[in-house]
Amino acid sequence: MHTEVTWGLLIVVYLFTAGVSAGAMVASNAAFLLGGDRYERVARWGAYLAPFPIAFGTGVLLLDLGSPLNFFRLFMTLQYKSPMSWGSWAILLFTLLSLVYLYLWLPPRYQIGHVIKRVRVWQGGLAKGMPILAVSVASYTGVLLNAADRPLWQIALLPELFLVSAMSTGVAAVGVAVALSRRWRANHEEKRSLALVDIVLVGIELLIFGAMMIDSQIGTLNQQLAYAVLWTGSYAATFWIMIMLLGLVVPLILKIVEVRGRLSWKWTERVGLGSSLLVLVGGFFVRYVITYAGQMTGWLR
Amino acid sequence: MTVRMGFVIITSRCIDCDACMVACRAENEVPIGFTRNWVRDSGAVGKFPIVKQMFEPGNCMHCEKPSCLSVCPTGATYKRADGIVLVDDTKCIGCKYCIEACPYDARFLNPVTGKADKCTFCLQRLEQGLKPACVQTCLGKARHSGDLNDPESVVSKLLNRYPARQLSPDAGTRPNIYYIDVPVAEIPSGT
Amino acid sequence: MPKIYTWDQLFSRRQFIKGGLAAAAFGAAAGSGLLQPKPGLGDAQSTVTSTLSGTKYVYTICEQCVWRCGVIARVENGVVRKLEGNPDHPNNAGKLCPRGNAGIETLYSPSRVKFPLIRAGARGSGLWRRASWDEALTYTAGQMKKIKDKYGAKAMIFNSTDNLSQPFFETLLKAYGTPNYGTQRSLCFNSMTTGFLYTYGVAQPGTDYANCNYMIFSGRNLAEGISNIETQEMIDMVARGAKVVVLDPRFTKTAAKAEWLPIRPGTDLAFFLALINVLVNEKLYDVKFVSQYTQGFDELTKEVATYTPQWAEVQTEIPAGTIRRIAREFAASAPAAIAHPNWRTSNFLNSFQAERAIAVLNALVGNWAKPGGLIPDQSINTAKLGTLSHPSYPAAVGMRLDGVPWQFPMVPLAYGVLQVMRDNILTGKPYQAKGWLISRQNPVLSIPERQKTINAIMKLDFIGVIDIMANDTAYYADVILPESSYLERYDGLVPIGDEIFIRQPVIKPLYDTKSSLMIYKELAVKLGLGDFLPYQDEKDLLVQQLKPYTVSLEELERKGHYRVPNFKEDHSKDFAFQTSSGKIEIASGIMAQMGKKAVPTWEAPPKPGPDQFYLLTGKTAQHSQMFTQDNRWLLEIFPENKAWLHTTVARKLGVKTDDEVIIESEVGKIRIKAYVTEGIRPDSVFMVGGFGHVSKGLHFAYGRGASDSALHKSLADPISGSSALSQTFVRVSKA
Repeated sequence: MHTEVTWGLLIVVYLFTAGVSAGAMVASNAAFLLGGDRYERVARWGAYLAPFPIAFGTGVLLLDLGSPLNFFRLFMTLQYKSPMSWGSWAILLFTLLSLVYLYLWLPPRYQIGHVIKRVRVWQGGLAKGMPILAVSVASYTGVLLNAADRPLWQIALLPELFLVSAMSTGVAAVGVAVALSRRWRANHEEKRSLALVDIVLVGIELLIFGAMMIDSQIGTLNQQLAYAVLWTGSYAATFWIMIMLLGLVVPLILKIVEVRGRLSWKWTERVGLGSSLLVLVGGFFVRYVITYAGQMTGWLR
Repeated sequence: MTVRMGFVIITSRCIDCDACMVACRAENEVPIGFTRNWVRDSGAVGKFPIVKQMFEPGNCMHCEKPSCLSVCPTGATYKRADGIVLVDDTKCIGCKYCIEACPYDARFLNPVTGKADKCTFCLQRLEQGLKPACVQTCLGKARHSGDLNDPESVVSKLLNRYPARQLSPDAGTRPNIYYIDVPVAEIPSGT
Repeated sequence: MPKIYTWDQLFSRRQFIKGGLAAAAFGAAAGSGLLQPKPGLGDAQSTVTSTLSGTKYVYTICEQCVWRCGVIARVENGVVRKLEGNPDHPNNAGKLCPRGNAGIETLYSPSRVKFPLIRAGARGSGLWRRASWDEALTYTAGQMKKIKDKYGAKAMIFNSTDNLSQPFFETLLKAYGTPNYGTQRSLCFNSMTTGFLYTYGVAQPGTDYANCNYMIFSGRNLAEGISNIETQEMIDMVARGAKVVVLDPRFTKTAAKAEWLPIRPGTDLAFFLALINVLVNEKLYDVKFVSQYTQGFDELTKEVATYTPQWAEVQTEIPAGTIRRIAREFAASAPAAIAHPNWRTSNFLNSFQAERAIAVLNALVGNWAKPGGLIPDQSINTAKLGTLSHPSYPAAVGMRLDGVPWQFPMVPLAYGVLQVMRDNILTGKPYQAKGWLISRQNPVLSIPERQKTINAIMKLDFIGVIDIMANDTAYYADVILPESSYLERYDGLVPIGDEIFIRQPVIKPLYDTKSSLMIYKELAVKLGLGDFLPYQDEKDLLVQQLKPYTVSLEELERKGHYRVPNFKEDHSKDFAFQTSSGKIEIASGIMAQMGKKAVPTWEAPPKPGPDQFYLLTGKTAQHSQMFTQDNRWLLEIFPENKAWLHTTVARKLGVKTDDEVIIESEVGKIRIKAYVTEGIRPDSVFMVGGFGHVSKGLHFAYGRGASDSALHKSLADPISGSSALSQTFVRVSKA
């Protein structure tokens, strides 16, 4: 029996960073495949960002283990029923390949031998393959919680919520990078597209929460009680302010304002940057609230 | 027939003295601050002076479909042929996934070993033909253990004679602790 | 210059290791589970020792409370790993309660006093120096001699609480020659023992739970005041459908298994008088038994005429219909029906009358020596130990400081009135006490009005304490003589029925400690009284105690118990009542002699004023009064006491569970966490006793909960000397 939370902030950071990396990777892949040279900066920054949050998160995760020196045991087996087992392999593969992908995006002077001739081909190959891994990693964080028998974590759409949240935070992270970068600063079209994508993703996230609210009225008593922790319980304030208001509604409005293009160049810049940062904050709190509130819910006896 | 080890707990015979918790701590050297078993106390339920109170002992339920086992990423948690669910310390990395997954909060991270820890059915005692420490010491003869598939066991006989329930069936793990709430005048003899 | 230690230094981990005691470090490791791997386990109960695996099993007797359960200790390579109940022991039938299971933690506790200590600063300053046994005993004996020479032996008080070596402590005090002996009895069950003594001539009859079909408890909470086998029998009784009625203002865990009657505090007497009224009026009593074995029935008839259930309803707040129903049910189940003698019925000054009413009620249904009824004195049917011959005791000159018998003529000499003794240290009347030797007792926390006890200690020339830990009284002592824990020592043998049981060392003492048997002996020698305790060592004493029997000490040690062959139970004296009339005295001859009403009679208890509450106190299953709070394993399951408040009271105060409240009585004030519940009368506040320690030597208990003795008023029933612990009224406010 335990009273305090078992999975704390370190796990929240891990779940969040894995999502950011996956989102950044998909953003890069999509920009490269669909936009080509016009979206080169987005593709480049996505590639540069992708390996690091997840590597950091994995390091943090190690700190949270009871027996960190036993970490290698994860990779001596594949437990087909355990999302964490699949997830660990996926993350390992994702991190390694995202480093390769990053290398391919480095300026030519870093490319050795005949790699330089085939860089485009390899970039393309990876860009086509990586989204599958990225989506796996992003959904994994939701499936991970989903498989632990807690009512709140077993609710429908949790993996979908985490996936969409991961994509939106990844896109936002790339958005911040390309807005601040000097050498590879995004052009107007890139920024606008990123903002549009974020509008769509944030919109979907809001729809998912809406669906959850409907579900919470018709679900089992166990689920109703679990949802109540979010809507009206001890995590309600954090949920409504940090996620719904600051993390979703406000950035959505800001992004729409940004896209409509009535603001001055300077203000467009600021609004874009600020709304992206808010999306990141909101994404973090999605993980935080779900992780913590989930541990407060148990099964009726 | 295969062996299916489990517990039968007669709540009407429990007085919440917690001897089971101390006996377990001694037998299994459970570190201070954690416990492998428990007695839940409903407190006084109702309105003065019409109140009642129930005590419900518990520990790892050695489930048929243990969620701790399916989530374990390294195969450290395993179920023996006799149904006892254990943790292989050499494989456990201390990720706490099983602790989250257990609907009964039966597990904790042992800060001394860095491993997931829980009731082992006092395997070291079973191997000597002894009952688990909590069962042995129970003043009220509320805790019983044995092979649920063996018709000659105390637990089977109790379940044959009295109505029983399981905890949180919604969680779907098919726990192997059965609770009898009605009075049980005499404990049948058996293995 | 010897090194001076503060309490913190004495008990710090560093000091612990630096003490150079390998065993201590070993013990600490055992507590935290660092010793791996475990050696193999031998065969459980058939052999005492299996040397091959380094595991041995040793029979001994528990001392986590005073009940004396049989224990089998599993010792692996010199470390005690597990304590388990001895299935052959009649007191516990193989089971141990939480306290018994936690004995290992008592043994290996860092709070143990590890060598003799002599005070090195002002009393209560917490400054100590280490002393050798010779120095500590010489110092103690020197102080005691000085007091005797200057003021007479009577200026020295001896105190002890029920334990296996208590008879030898009593020998020491008789040899010393003081009339002043303090036991816990008046704080506990004086009203019960005197009540039954004056009715049956038996202080504490047994109760046949196994065959009883109707039990009324009114001050015995077996689920929380565990007496192992009795608790087991009570649970079995409930399970087989016997009726159990619990009179208690609080919903106890025993009440949870029974019909609960939340009686108004202090009115149990009215309830029992009304039961008698119904039995008499409806002729439900055992006419034959009453005429054959009792006297005073007619007087009783007259007295109880007005004690109708309607009258009792006003007093007790239990409906008259319920009282009448219980009276009829009780009579219908008789003689397999018992109104339990209890320990501390209602705990008011009228408790003696309540106990008399209970004793008489039992007599009316004729349950004496019947299956399911009261069991006559068993001492006649207990194996007798060999005795030690010693010189005759000197006369104890002087009046007793506890007022027996000059102030309390009806209190039996052996019982005493501890709280009055403390008061008379302060008043200096009839003479000034000068010294106090206390063995295994903690008056600072047990006697009401804690501050007075501390003040009394400050007045003395000398105070010495014998204990295994630095209890609250030891904190103020001049010298602490550290006793070995019960798992490290011998004590006097224990006969139960036709069997004799032994407490023996499970392991060698971890520290520089001694058994109390040897502390008393060596102190006697230094006092020039060595002949009174004529044994060389513990084994020598035990051999002398075994003299009437053929069994050797070695065999007893190996088997843990010895059954006296061809032992015949003698029941010829079952109905030879040791009263002045030779009968069960419904009308007490002694009471009549003292000019008091001879039959049980109503004494109205005082009521709390407006905004005041009854302060109730009681036990918990996880601790033995104030004796086990420092045990970490027990603190895990019962960390602190809280003040029980009824929901409506808490709402009015604006208090939730775990909010702090201030409780204030005429004599003291405490701060304690609240526990809000429907399971208590709205006019009462309850707290478990024993917490709120003042000794910093109790590392883990210090600072937890609050002390009820800081609030209790000092009262003494003029008849039984019993302390009326619940006759204290308090105000409660939000902290």
